[in-house]
Amino acid sequence: MASVEWRPEFATGIADVDHEHRELIGWINQTLAAAGDTAGDPGKVGDLLGEVFARISAHFALEEHIMSARRYDQFAEHKRDHEHLLDDIRDIMDDVEAAGGPVEERFSARLSEWFGAQFRTHDARFHQRMPGA
Amino acid sequence: MNWLKRPLRAIFDRVESMLDAVFGAQHNPLAQLGALGWYLFWLITASGIYLFVFFDTGVTQAYESIESISRDQWWAGGIMRSIHRYASDALVLVAFVHLLREFALDRMRGVRWFAWITGLLLVGFIYVCGITGYWMVWDQLAQYVALTTSRWLDVIPIFAEPISRNFLSNTELSGRFFTLMVYIHIAAPLLMLLFMWVHIQRYNHARVNPTRPLMIATTVAFVALSLLMPALSQAPANLDQLAASVGLDWFYIPLYPLVDTLGGVTLWGLVIGIFVVFAALPWVPPLRRAQPAVVHLDNCNGCARCFADCPFSAITMQPRSDGSGFTEEAVVDPDLCVSCGICVGACPTATPFRRATALVPGIELPESSIADLRERVEKLCAGGPGGPPRILAFRCAHGAAVESVPGADVAVIDVPCTGMVPPSFLDLIVTRRMAAGVLLAGCRESECHQRLGVRWTEARVAAERDPYLRDRVPRDRVAVSWASPAQKSVRARAIRNFATALAGLDPALPRSATGSHAPWRDAARRLARPLRWAIQLLVAVGIGTLIVRYSDSPAITLRGADEAIVTLSFSHAGRLKEECRKLTPEEIARLEPNMRRPRDCPRARWPVYVELELNGKLVYRGEHLPAGIWDDGPSSLFERFAVPAGAQHLTARLRDSERDSGFDFSNTATVELVPGQSLVVGFRASDGFSFR
Repeated sequence: MASVEWRPEFATGIADVDHEHRELIGWINQTLAAAGDTAGDPGKVGDLLGEVFARISAHFALEEHIMSARRYDQFAEHKRDHEHLLDDIRDIMDDVEAAGGPVEERFSARLSEWFGAQFRTHDARFHQRMPGA
Repeated sequence: MNWLKRPLRAIFDRVESMLDAVFGAQHNPLAQLGALGWYLFWLITASGIYLFVFFDTGVTQAYESIESISRDQWWAGGIMRSIHRYASDALVLVAFVHLLREFALDRMRGVRWFAWITGLLLVGFIYVCGITGYWMVWDQLAQYVALTTSRWLDVIPIFAEPISRNFLSNTELSGRFFTLMVYIHIAAPLLMLLFMWVHIQRYNHARVNPTRPLMIATTVAFVALSLLMPALSQAPANLDQLAASVGLDWFYIPLYPLVDTLGGVTLWGLVIGIFVVFAALPWVPPLRRAQPAVVHLDNCNGCARCFADCPFSAITMQPRSDGSGFTEEAVVDPDLCVSCGICVGACPTATPFRRATALVPGIELPESSIADLRERVEKLCAGGPGGPPRILAFRCAHGAAVESVPGADVAVIDVPCTGMVPPSFLDLIVTRRMAAGVLLAGCRESECHQRLGVRWTEARVAAERDPYLRDRVPRDRVAVSWASPAQKSVRARAIRNFATALAGLDPALPRSATGSHAPWRDAARRLARPLRWAIQLLVAVGIGTLIVRYSDSPAITLRGADEAIVTLSFSHAGRLKEECRKLTPEEIARLEPNMRRPRDCPRARWPVYVELELNGKLVYRGEHLPAGIWDDGPSSLFERFAVPAGAQHLTARLRDSERDSGFDFSNTATVELVPGQSLVVGFRASDGFSFR
């Protein structure tokens, strides 16, 4: 399973957000590795997904706090995307809980989409619209 | 104090339940007394500004201008004047019920001491505003207020001469003193507004506006009251002829008759004593406080959700102290934290799905950890022989009890506030089928003990406030029930009906909600709309009648029908104890250079001794010391005597020198007094005694 790698274009320029993006990538890659390990403990994937869910929830909370404080004009759209991703992760968590996998393809695809598309569009825009952010 | 709080709380509980049924929990006036106080303040301010435009501040014109406002433009100025008076009376009523209610609900101890003490000070401000306001009308009531206030203040030994001397007679009435009252009446509300702001400083999202329907209804009620029972002045003030009785505003001056019966000093003692007793209540006994919330920086990224949700402003966001990549961290002020756990419910890391690391959220209560909460949930939902419980209830410590009812197996977890339960716990329990449904059983909807617990819980479940309960959680399996400890039947009915509703649901749990985010709630028992309106009207009429009834009556008797008043008053400096003496050159040389002077003039004066005889009978005698710390000021006296009307022979004598017998001044007069007449026996060194 391909892991997610930090790329310079992911950087928003906001120290808190970039710091947490890097931490998140670490958690996601751990989860992807566990999901790809067919000989491993299936329960571990669920546990790691729970951790990723909590970390991403916290990360979104921080991003939304910053956007709200800086009156970001696309806050509502950004927030909606956050909620969709959290819903997707929760669906994946329940699928793992119910069937024990395989989920790595869905999980990887969804997170890659988020890190790629989200960073290129929303996060990049946020950075551009908030000089000094 | 529980012997007093318990019955009071029971009374408030009952009345509040009735008003909930009549007004609805959202518009219950008893649950928004503080906000109502704010609104009344704005009503009083707005009407006061209007009145001030037309008010003539001259002492002789004040009465006429108020009469003109009240009668010539009854359709505007008259209404404004009535609103000004009645809203001021209502403010006293609201402030005292607010005070009593906070006491009954035990909401003045712990961190709430600050609002309690500032609230007590606000009551003082309300009285200063009201009393100076009555003064300005300059009618009989104003005269009574002026004379009584002056006499009450005169017992405080800080004035060079009695304030009462400003009100000896119509001709001696000081316009400047009257103007001072006008300034105080404007300055006091401005200071009061500052204190109102301070009063709510320690509350996050403090409510300063009642609900819109309540505001509209209050305004309409005051306008109607103003048209039906307009506030009018009493007869104009006349310091030379005292009225036999005066109607009092019992909201503002209930203590004034005690100035006559108890005396000014005793009344000050009483007022200060009452204030001290009330001010001590937050610490009688001190509140046993649970350990405050703690922040775990390893799991805090500074998202500020706890900061936004804390009802008591106990959390601040401060620069990061752990050298991590984040810029801010939450910091809890333990002195302000009430350990309600609402911050924990807001923390995005307080999710039970975390299992790869220890379940330690960014912020939590040491005595009620989130890991412990998950453990309790898992233990209860593991179930007994019959399997998992149908309903898992999170019960607020300040709400009604939660008990199993026939057909509804309920497992209960006690929490300090329902706002402590993170929505992800509801997600876990419902979507993983750990129980058929979850019940958030809190305290009274219209009055959350932790201020914002009910509001935030509702908003999170409705996905209107972070952290959202996810859409995927079917809301028909998540119930809210708001009931005070006395509302046991409300709680029991909610549990019974929720169990019935759960039994009727499709066992195949939908993966995502379709439609409303509103949780299940038991339909409130509400009266039919016409009946509600009728009772609302009755409540308004009742309060309006109470305000009108006691805003200028019952009257009190000021003097007997055949009595007149004799006032003995002067402000006179006794003679110097020592004459000026020329200093010798040697004496001058011994003085410090900057203190050298040709003459030495000791400033101390002799006290003034005075006697008054009425028809040959001594009615007053007294020695009056000079004012000032060097005993160099005037000696003053203001003393009133009720005397029978008719012919009176008066003799006044005064000694102001070193002699220890005999008098330096004396005068007699025979006067014919009519009932109510005010005769002033005055004294000036140049003219001797006068009888006017």
